[in-house]
Amino acid sequence: MSESVAQFLLESRGIQRDLDAFVVAACFDRSGTTAAFALGDGTLRLVTLSDRDAWQTVEAHDGAILSLAPDVTPTGFITGGDDGKFRRLGADIANFRSKWVEHVASHPGEKSKGLLACAVGKSIHLFDQDGAKLKELPHPSSVTGLTFDARGKRVAASHYSGASLWFVNAKEDSPRRLEWKGSHTSIVIHPDGDAVVTAMQENALHGWRLSDNQHMRMSGYPAKTATLSFTRNGKWLATSGADAMVLWPFFGGGPMGKAPIELAGGDGIVCTRVAAHPQQEMVAGGFADGLVVLAEVNSSRILPIAPPGRGPVSALAWSPDGSQLAIGTEQGFVALIDLSKR
Amino acid sequence: MANTQTEAQVPVTVLTGYLGAGKTTLLNRILTEQHGRKYAVVINEFGELGVDNDLVVDTDEEVFEMNNGCICCTVRGDLIRIVGGLMKRRDKFDGIIIETTGLANPAPVAQTFFVDEGVRSKAKLDAIVTVVDAKHLPQRLEDSHEAADQIAFADVIVLNKTDLVTPEELAAVEAQIRAINRFAVIHRTERAALPIEQVLGRGAFDLNRVLAMAPDFLDSDEHEHNDEVTSVSFEVEQPIDPEKFNAWIGALLQEQGPDLLRTKGILSYANDERRFAFQAVHMIADGDFIGPWKEGDARVSRIVFIGRNLNRPRLRRGFEGCVAG
Repeated sequence: MSESVAQFLLESRGIQRDLDAFVVAACFDRSGTTAAFALGDGTLRLVTLSDRDAWQTVEAHDGAILSLAPDVTPTGFITGGDDGKFRRLGADIANFRSKWVEHVASHPGEKSKGLLACAVGKSIHLFDQDGAKLKELPHPSSVTGLTFDARGKRVAASHYSGASLWFVNAKEDSPRRLEWKGSHTSIVIHPDGDAVVTAMQENALHGWRLSDNQHMRMSGYPAKTATLSFTRNGKWLATSGADAMVLWPFFGGGPMGKAPIELAGGDGIVCTRVAAHPQQEMVAGGFADGLVVLAEVNSSRILPIAPPGRGPVSALAWSPDGSQLAIGTEQGFVALIDLSKR
Repeated sequence: MANTQTEAQVPVTVLTGYLGAGKTTLLNRILTEQHGRKYAVVINEFGELGVDNDLVVDTDEEVFEMNNGCICCTVRGDLIRIVGGLMKRRDKFDGIIIETTGLANPAPVAQTFFVDEGVRSKAKLDAIVTVVDAKHLPQRLEDSHEAADQIAFADVIVLNKTDLVTPEELAAVEAQIRAINRFAVIHRTERAALPIEQVLGRGAFDLNRVLAMAPDFLDSDEHEHNDEVTSVSFEVEQPIDPEKFNAWIGALLQEQGPDLLRTKGILSYANDERRFAFQAVHMIADGDFIGPWKEGDARVSRIVFIGRNLNRPRLRRGFEGCVAG
């Protein structure tokens, strides 16, 4: 039943391709006009929504692409690769040679003073919007996750023994260190800027409330959490790593001592990717068998979007207006689904 | 199901050995020989010589403790990330070779392949290969714990630079190696020259082949020196009670895990036609049934310990206490 609904949606409202390489990441540019899929063969595949059958292939890296984000401009993308390069479409920003560029991020900034960042080894490297190097921010161990806060004032890194939070415009760079023993493997900042949450090696999450240094522990996952995504207003933190999408409440005092809600569970298949809808209280989830679903948080209603069978979901991204969902799997299957009203 | 997963797992060879022993020479030999296979090579930034290969990953060795209440359970955080990253271009290579720094303890590398689910599902440890310098090994063994640890962990030992020592010195150094690890295969080489199939594709961590390379179970009662790494082995002819064995080995690894570098065993359980293979690196253990005993074979249970402070009579009594009765 649900599989046939998903197959119908995929065929009637989606375009799909078999690209024959691991889909590392997907994202849309800031204007929402183009979707990008970053692949393990080093290419970037671009689809413009106005002409969804014309796919463009860009040879971005000599090796695998490891990270992808929108550029600061309305169109364009930035990528990091295992060839040591930090690039934007058509140009090099920096070359770190034998070191991998494992994470990239950007923020359009205020008064068009955009920022670009990449993580290489133990450092974050910050660049202005033109790609000129601003500074290097060192950490005690390798940076495993990188993100700007919603306003672009701070940049945060996860690493061994916690996370570091830096003010990007500080005259003297000294980070706020958020400490918790163990290896932290990815990071997200709450939309209101008052909480930082990391995923950990030990199948758990750790959070810090910045205003009062309250720790938050969220555990019970059977697998590692690969993606963390706050819903639009920050009410819920959606996570992968269990056989359902797990959502922690970030209202009414936060998640401490509360049970999360679980959506789209019951099949015993691990959720590998989540992506909260940018406009509404909905979350998309991708599973290890290739199934992709959309869940409405308040009603717990589930809409299957892509049926299982095309490899573990490894990339999931919404367009900024939330009308398009990009999907990619480890086997190289990609789809772009139009969920706008007709 | 289990089989398809095994086939999909990338084999990983770990190369250890002191600076100057010939690790990089061996690595370059492996990479330049015409074998038609491609390897992803993970090196550390303090490597002695350049490595000539398409796919080289330069890494900082980052060893960290797992928060699982097990004090000796350390893993290589960088390898968890690198193996994950390499899987994005899985079709570009047939195996992974990891070269460690000279002073590295091999335990965290080995444990990474047991502890991290992501790594474990995609890659499997094939063998630990330790390169030692025939001339300088005696000195190294006096200087540090690491030299002995690297020999203790080895499945294959490349005893290199044999041209720089006399036959008597070579025999003495080989005896020293054997005193630490009686179960590794030793190859004597000059300039690290040996057929690469002696190094790659060994399957030493494959439960199907646990102990397959152990030559014979000499069971001499040499006296032990407490702080030195030694290896001991025991056999029992009566069937083993799985519950007794699990209780004993569990408690032993918990109590003496830091001293027990490697443990391997093949067990004959009472009322079971299959062989049970067991192995552990410090406290991290793994075990599974590996198919039936061959007809006519003696169903003897064997266990090997390589480590420090091995109390032979106590270990023997413990193992013998696992007999079903």
